[in-house]
Amino acid sequence: MIGSNTTEAHPVLALRIKKAVRKGATLVVADPRAIWLTKIAKRHLQLRPGSDVWLLNAIMHTILEEGLHDEAYVREHTEDFEAVREVVARYPPEEGERWTGVPAEAIRATAREYATERHAAIFYTLGITEHACGVDNIWSLANLVLMTGHLGYESTGLNALRGQNNVQGLNDSGANPTYLPGYQPVDDPVVRAKFSEAWGIEVPERAGFRLDQIMSGLHDDRIKALYLIGENPGHTEPNAHHVAEGLSKLEFLVSQDIFLSDTAERYADVVLPASSFAEKDGTFTNTERRVNRVRAAVPLPGNARGDRQIVLDLARELGCDWPEYPDAESVWNELADLCPNWFGIRYFRLEDEGLQWPVASLEDEGSRFLHEKTTARPSGRGKFHPVEYQPPIEEPDADYPFVLSTGRTLYHYNSGAMTMREDGITDKQRDPFFEISAEDASSLGVLDGDWVRLVSRRGDLQARAQVSARVFPGLVWMALHFAEAKVNWLTHDVGDPLIGTPEYKVSAVRLEVL
Amino acid sequence: MIEFTLDGRPASAQEDELLVHAAARNGVFVPTLCHDDKLDPYGGCRMCVVGVEGSSRPLPACATRVSAGMVVSTNSNVPQLRKTLTEMLLSEHLNANPGGRPNELVDLARELGAEAPLVLPDAKREPYADRNRLMGYEPDTCILCNRCVRYTQEVMQCSALSLEGRGPEARIVPTWERSWLDTECELCGGCLSVCPTGAIYEKFLEGAGVEERQLEQTKTTCTFCGVGCQIDLNVDPETKRIVKVTSKPEYVSNEGDLCVKGRFSFNFVHHPDRLTEPLVRGEDGELHPATWEAALAAAADGLKGVIRRHSAQAIGVLASARLTNEENYLIQKLARIGLGTNSVHSCEAT
Repeated sequence: MIGSNTTEAHPVLALRIKKAVRKGATLVVADPRAIWLTKIAKRHLQLRPGSDVWLLNAIMHTILEEGLHDEAYVREHTEDFEAVREVVARYPPEEGERWTGVPAEAIRATAREYATERHAAIFYTLGITEHACGVDNIWSLANLVLMTGHLGYESTGLNALRGQNNVQGLNDSGANPTYLPGYQPVDDPVVRAKFSEAWGIEVPERAGFRLDQIMSGLHDDRIKALYLIGENPGHTEPNAHHVAEGLSKLEFLVSQDIFLSDTAERYADVVLPASSFAEKDGTFTNTERRVNRVRAAVPLPGNARGDRQIVLDLARELGCDWPEYPDAESVWNELADLCPNWFGIRYFRLEDEGLQWPVASLEDEGSRFLHEKTTARPSGRGKFHPVEYQPPIEEPDADYPFVLSTGRTLYHYNSGAMTMREDGITDKQRDPFFEISAEDASSLGVLDGDWVRLVSRRGDLQARAQVSARVFPGLVWMALHFAEAKVNWLTHDVGDPLIGTPEYKVSAVRLEVL
Repeated sequence: MIEFTLDGRPASAQEDELLVHAAARNGVFVPTLCHDDKLDPYGGCRMCVVGVEGSSRPLPACATRVSAGMVVSTNSNVPQLRKTLTEMLLSEHLNANPGGRPNELVDLARELGAEAPLVLPDAKREPYADRNRLMGYEPDTCILCNRCVRYTQEVMQCSALSLEGRGPEARIVPTWERSWLDTECELCGGCLSVCPTGAIYEKFLEGAGVEERQLEQTKTTCTFCGVGCQIDLNVDPETKRIVKVTSKPEYVSNEGDLCVKGRFSFNFVHHPDRLTEPLVRGEDGELHPATWEAALAAAADGLKGVIRRHSAQAIGVLASARLTNEENYLIQKLARIGLGTNSVHSCEAT
């Protein structure tokens, strides 16, 4: 488990891990915090935030030094292995100890255990991706998996745990500037022609903006209007004061949501009341690519409308001549008809349980894991990407001596729009808090529960100190859920150079005792 | 596979299979109370005792593994034993059916024709008040089968609940008798989901007057993380409101387990803050309620205006993981061919 606080972010999946450990599985947790899973782990690699590449390269260094890699797999199923061998040779665990804070012997032991166990799986979440070197982190993990041949059969692989209920499906269904539905690249003229023909209108050729480009576009006149559906970027995007300033410059903002967000209240020109999950039919796709049915259980409140209906109404108003789409199934069928890996998924097959894509035909029972015969790349070979360590964008200094890392808790969900309205749950966790080590608390004279001001170069907030053994001296941690103390006022917005994912996991702050 | 004899007939079982499962597969139902397939074999309540040749005492089917050649009888003196056990449990069961909650012991008693022969004078156990608003405990309904405690220990692997006291004073308590909110309890409600008698229950249903068995269940997918737990939304047919969330062991992905959000965060659906009318910002700079016709026209005009003054590339569309695949599909279609831009993305870009 690396960069995944599983018991809080994916509590039910964590039950499977607990069960596996109880049955004798070896668990190694790599995380800057002593999260719950470290209680049952064989080993905790408590690395410094942002040093993942160093740690992973040092693990690979050990594997290659001791000849524990899967030579046959590397030869038959991969390419560019030598480039990685060259790079990781410069990352010995002993030096890694200085960069990561993880003892060299723990790195070596983990390398041996992982490489020699046939059924060894890696799970990661946002602790890996939410860095300016997020793509490098993923490539490092992929290198590790490829060199040990840990993929293509059960209980192995590189497994992303999707944070939200339908992250997987959102991307599958094409809400992505790079891909049309089914990961069919929009810059491929053949793909565009296929969708243009199916839809009866030319799909635009010009590349779209990613989220981070849309956000920066608020400030440089590229973006003049936003249509937000179930999103509150003024809370969830990094450097949120700057985001709010950008939103104030918009010429037009539409918000379609179930609650009036603070972003919509201040900046929206039109607010469209939408549907919650309990009021709609359709499908969500989970982290194991399983397409599950969603079914309406209660009527919509007042004059709110289903999101499908609203989009169709707006399309009509914009002059689109679309098919009727009388129900969610008719939309799904259009998607499945256009996407080969989803073609065999139809509602009548989802009645009892979901299907895991790819499902090529109606006879296909779905795919429990990927890359069984070959990897998904056109060459059929898995590609190694050599990766060098890059320090985080903003490291602590004399003015801002603490590393701030952010995340989620068990009790709340993102901006808290839903869970902060649940009395039974806020009884357990309501006030904004941050975790601080006993050493730092004592040197600052802060007691558990004291209100403290956290200040970064971009903003400040007040939260209660939670003196905790989970963090080490120099590190503080805070969740993003609190509307009155948005941790994204503090975070910086320099993201990954390739895909723009923000570095929510490392910013520099100072603490002021109140 | 191994062969054994069940009620005089030849039967087969898998190596090391529990007798209760082997019997079920061979068409013989053995009732259980303390047993749960999620948990280790326990054999506490003895409701499932069967006769095994060569054993001087009856053995619990939920904790006995079949061996080759075993001769098992569920119909000699077993029914009488079972009835006596049921009567003993009933005699301590002062509040059999609080709030109309399902109760496996009462169902079993009805089936066996068992009634409490007497009520033990000292059977009344101390309830405890707790400030949490999610879960309650009614000691006079509890049969001390320990399923809840074992769930916390074996599945959650925490020490949130304990069996406290002895004899007539025994009851289940949050560890050290602190509040449910002050232990390491994560409020997942797993304890109430495994309780056979409804002794641990959804506190917020107290006095709601909802006869549980009349709730309408709709199976759907949880909205809180990527695991995709399958849940049943239990809706009161009169008020059309969700009153509780449950799950079932046969559901893939979660096997009936839920977390605090999946089980208890559903009130937001009916929250008075829900948006129920479209809003349009007026000349005064404030948002005002509007008709759908007016709001949709304003939305379309505003977007068309930006396209006219700048270009479609000046519009960003942010979809959401809150939405279904079908809704996201339509949104990207709207962005691409309705507005004319590929700039459709979301905060799940991480």
